[in-house]
Amino acid sequence: MARKKSSGSHREEDRCNDEARRYFLKQSSLLTAIAITPPTILKAVASEWDKKAAEYFEKTPLTIEINGIKHKLSIEARVTLLDLFREQLALPGTKKGCDHGQCGACTVHVDGKRVLSCLTLAVMLEGKKVTTIEGLADSENLHPMQQAFITNDGFQCGYCTPGQIMSAVACIREGHADSDEEIREYMSGNICRCGAYPNIVKAIADVKKGGQKV
Amino acid sequence: MIENFLPSNQKADPNDRVDGRAKVTGTATYAAEHKAENIVFGFLVGSTIAKGRIKSIDSKNAEHAPGVLAVITYLNCPKVPGYQTVKDPSKPTVNQPLHIFHDSEILYYDQPIALVIADTYERVRHAATLIRAQYEKAEHHTGMEENMSRARRPSDNESNDYKRGEEDAYKKAAIKIEQTYSQPIEVHSPIELGSIIAQWEGEDKLTVYTKTQGVQDTQQAIMEAFKIPLQNITVHAEFVGGAFGMALRTWPYEIAAIIGAKKVGRPLKIVLSREQMFTNVGSRPTALQKIGLGSTHDGKLTGITHEAFAHTSSNEEFTEAIVNISRCLYACPNVNTRYKVVPLDVCTPIWMRGPGEATGSYALESAMDELAHALSIDPIELRLLNHADVDPESNLPWSSKYLKECYQMGAEKIGWNQRRQQPGTLKEDEWLVGYGMGTGTFGAFRWGAIVKARLSPDGNLLLQCSVNDMGPGTATMMTKIAADSLGLQANKVTVDMGRTGLPAGPTQGGSATTSNVGSAVYDVCSDLKIKIAELAGKDGSVFKNANNNNVKAEDLLFADGGVSLAKDPSVKASYSDLLKQNNSPALEITKESKGDGPEQKKYSMRSFSTHFVKLLVHPATGVVRVNHVVSCADAGIIINPKTAASQMIGGAVGGIGMALMEEIVIDQRFGKLINNNFADYHVPVNADIPNIDVLFVNKKDPYTNPMGSKGLGEISLIGMAAAVANAVFNATGKRIRSLPITPDKLI
Amino acid sequence: MINFQYIKASTPKAAIDALIKDSAAQFIAGGTNLVDLMKKGVTAPEKLIDITNLDLKKIEKQKGKLYIGALALNSEVAEHDLVSKEQPLLSLALKAGASQQIRNMATVGGNMLQRTRCPYFYNTDMPCNKRQPGTGCGALKGFNRMHAIFGASDKCIAVHPSDMCIALMALNATVLITGPKGDRQIPFADFHRLPGDTPQKDNNLERGDLIIGVEIPDNNCNQHVHYLKVRDRTSYAFALVSVAVALDIQNNIIKDIRLAMGGVAHKPWRLKEAENFLKGRTVSEDNFRQAATLAMHGAKGHGYNNFKLKLAPNSIVETLKIATQKA
Repeated sequence: MARKKSSGSHREEDRCNDEARRYFLKQSSLLTAIAITPPTILKAVASEWDKKAAEYFEKTPLTIEINGIKHKLSIEARVTLLDLFREQLALPGTKKGCDHGQCGACTVHVDGKRVLSCLTLAVMLEGKKVTTIEGLADSENLHPMQQAFITNDGFQCGYCTPGQIMSAVACIREGHADSDEEIREYMSGNICRCGAYPNIVKAIADVKKGGQKV
Repeated sequence: MIENFLPSNQKADPNDRVDGRAKVTGTATYAAEHKAENIVFGFLVGSTIAKGRIKSIDSKNAEHAPGVLAVITYLNCPKVPGYQTVKDPSKPTVNQPLHIFHDSEILYYDQPIALVIADTYERVRHAATLIRAQYEKAEHHTGMEENMSRARRPSDNESNDYKRGEEDAYKKAAIKIEQTYSQPIEVHSPIELGSIIAQWEGEDKLTVYTKTQGVQDTQQAIMEAFKIPLQNITVHAEFVGGAFGMALRTWPYEIAAIIGAKKVGRPLKIVLSREQMFTNVGSRPTALQKIGLGSTHDGKLTGITHEAFAHTSSNEEFTEAIVNISRCLYACPNVNTRYKVVPLDVCTPIWMRGPGEATGSYALESAMDELAHALSIDPIELRLLNHADVDPESNLPWSSKYLKECYQMGAEKIGWNQRRQQPGTLKEDEWLVGYGMGTGTFGAFRWGAIVKARLSPDGNLLLQCSVNDMGPGTATMMTKIAADSLGLQANKVTVDMGRTGLPAGPTQGGSATTSNVGSAVYDVCSDLKIKIAELAGKDGSVFKNANNNNVKAEDLLFADGGVSLAKDPSVKASYSDLLKQNNSPALEITKESKGDGPEQKKYSMRSFSTHFVKLLVHPATGVVRVNHVVSCADAGIIINPKTAASQMIGGAVGGIGMALMEEIVIDQRFGKLINNNFADYHVPVNADIPNIDVLFVNKKDPYTNPMGSKGLGEISLIGMAAAVANAVFNATGKRIRSLPITPDKLI
Repeated sequence: MINFQYIKASTPKAAIDALIKDSAAQFIAGGTNLVDLMKKGVTAPEKLIDITNLDLKKIEKQKGKLYIGALALNSEVAEHDLVSKEQPLLSLALKAGASQQIRNMATVGGNMLQRTRCPYFYNTDMPCNKRQPGTGCGALKGFNRMHAIFGASDKCIAVHPSDMCIALMALNATVLITGPKGDRQIPFADFHRLPGDTPQKDNNLERGDLIIGVEIPDNNCNQHVHYLKVRDRTSYAFALVSVAVALDIQNNIIKDIRLAMGGVAHKPWRLKEAENFLKGRTVSEDNFRQAATLAMHGAKGHGYNNFKLKLAPNSIVETLKIATQKA
């Protein structure tokens, strides 16, 4: 389908969609190329216009840089950044612990800030730079925080660990690692059921004290 | 396969975890992260009633939703061969898992009623919301307090009532304590969600990647359910993101994935939601315990009565050793215990870290603290006065017991001399300060394991065992034992583990992995040493010449990646040279190590721990801040102090959660869980946890296993909740006998 | 979640126009509450209008007031020099909420609009008049440990979960709004509603309204401030009760005081009676205790939250003590 250009249209909504493009794909023989919103489809199914209802998907283009690589994607708006990593981009390092922003296992950096990828709609990150645990170290050498976690045994099962490390690096960059007490508070958004907390604090304090660039 | 990467330019601590690099780089692959061609996604829809039956399910809208391949319910579920076994109606069901999609019966809230399968995760989650069910409600029973009349004796012999001496002797004692303690349902809540990828090959070959604590057990369960040959079932669990007991059985969601994968002919992944992790994969039972303690005026126990009620499900009997701690911890001539289970309409409970003892120790150790207070003697003094020098239940000597040392070491480290005997009299600013302690014990179990070792001509050692690790550090422990035994650098050892097809390892549980697998590693390395000695002692070798012929393993030192003659270390060769010079292929030995020696019957084998807590309580708000924790363990020889300390810390954190915040809440009107999520079910966060000091007695046990170790994964938690509760009493003078001790209970 | 449409707005007018055109559309900014509610099925907008590109992020002094744009991030506001210096109570309150990750995503406007975390609201198979008017209040005779002791009705006893809003209430903020009918302002005290018979309405916005920012007038109360949040664990948890206090003290006399509570009502709860009592009185625990007793007029427990009847006044006293002891 041809891209709809916004020039020549004065509707505010089109100006809104200056960059956005919508692609519609239909496979049903009965339904033609008209905009179909979810309730319409459901109504269609309910009233049995077509038992094999049109398999359609509405996708939004997205250009996003992840770990230094620019991705040009076309995804549904409902895809979270976390599920984009884990199910579409083969980046399973970021973990799903609750999917509701309650455990911190999905913590990544977006434009340098630590955020929860499970509550982030990927389409809202047009043009942003994302770093996941896979992108933290720049080569064979571990990032000082990764090494500190190993040295201080800041993990056991390892599942919350990527989120802890991304959070820990941000914690120091934010300037929130000036004391053990501050580290504890500012790391409280990352739950560790194995209970590695004291060693996590030690790892962060070590890196802070060591003065290496994080 | 755990590749032990230790870069040469970094100072590596030999105690660092061998899988550390994988975990900190996000390259450790957990169940849901495995790749499969054409994989599809499944999601379970749960019942919105607690008890009754499904009258109808309307799955039409779900079936027609974009991308949906199938919807499976009891109406169309393919027959699972193993479900056809007839239950014996005369006996309460034991080990009788819920048969998913077997019939229309609803046994608990959120029980799966449908499996929706679609080609993307987003589509399956959406389609799942389109399932509509009508129910016929039945009266539900979901609260233990309200259903005590339904309590019954468990059907297994291990749970029989026990008595030595006189029953309820405490009633006649000079000083007596008689109290009731209650604990809510607790849920394991590992951060990794229950996950499985099931992939069929043809009609009867199956591979699963799943969250399990025992790949062999999962394999067995799948065989029993689907009646396909055991060797056709491959179970992978190379990395497990915590479990704490919830992965000790194969759950209905796993069976559902296998059914679904067969139905759609594609690999199927199911990942439970966090809400489902609270409703569908077991819990530590809620418990009501009555303790009666009687003693002389001098503090010598004359009677212990310990009665416990704990919940099980309505369809299955779950039992655990809640009251057993009272039989063996203290020297007391008159002890009797009683235990009943109360069936409730919830998911069957499952062992949770320190099953039985974690629950029982809270009651017993709180009661002991109450007794100490009534006697006006120091709580540690009371423990020492009643120290059991032999196991009072079996009358066997202990294989080793350094509990007294644990009391002493822990007390010194926490600063126990700062504690006031009179509660509520110590303050720091406006905070009340309290010190408390608790004792923990758990069996030092060992059953067996098979490990294969392969020493290659390049001098590298490969260890293989099907055992898998949910966090304690199994591969690291195996590496350590082998490296120490053979004098190898840790990065010369590779561990291949976590799947079936490898030599049979144990299920990870019971604090027994080091004892089971470590012993097998120890034994296989001992056998390797014999083979190495044989090689070294071949005709014409420098060893043979220098040693008056006959080279035995005892004549050699195994160090620096090779061997040397003990009496003349200049006579040496690396393993690599030895094998190459002799044109030897890799040395391979498969060794089974069993803990079934005569010592098991001659000694009582238990690990012991003490927990000391200093905490602050705000008198106006009731907020509790744990200030300092000292946990001390008698766990025999400590194989790896780093990972062992982490286990102790982890258990202490779990104990703090148990004592101060964890509680499943059920709205009894509906029989539904209210707080089945991480925002409302509170596990400790970083700010809750202070400095935790871990101490080990580190004295060898002569009988448990060749290393002399005892388990510690669970004594790390057992006794901790009592230590916290006792510290709260010391701080405030308020004895809280129902967990968790939240601020509202203290104001 | 349904596969909703997604559009990005480049001006407030465009955003508003898009919203009122489509009754199934909602604004999205940080998404930390909205995406969660959508995942739970509590709300299912068919179109999301992304307003994160709008130029509503400023934090600055404007005409003697501290102006904070609606899209300013919670974390940025909490750490901003102007805020720390001039309205430190706001900074303290923000830092007590959620986690740094969430504060890095959440906006000021979103924080105000976040919905209650009542489990009966959140669970779509439970009765809830807020989520589905007429279905009843599950919490009223249910598990109501976290629920309101002030201003509730038999239709709804939920609490507003925000910490930031308690501070904004105490600081007499004004909410700046633009909507289909133009610009207007609402005093913060009138922004959130009591449940009454219409618990489905959390606040007094009308459809199409867009929060532009908040204004906080200067005050002399930035020397003695404290935000106390009492909760079931040390961090990353909602309040059992919370207290925001800011005082202007001269020669041990309370010249001005702002006092508000969270975790106790459907809206941030201003303690005017207590404030009026304390104005002109000396700093003393006895006065604090009397004020706290006054503050509890009309308080009513619903069973599991009866402890708040004691915790609330205790917390008020403690917060006043801490604030007045600070230099």
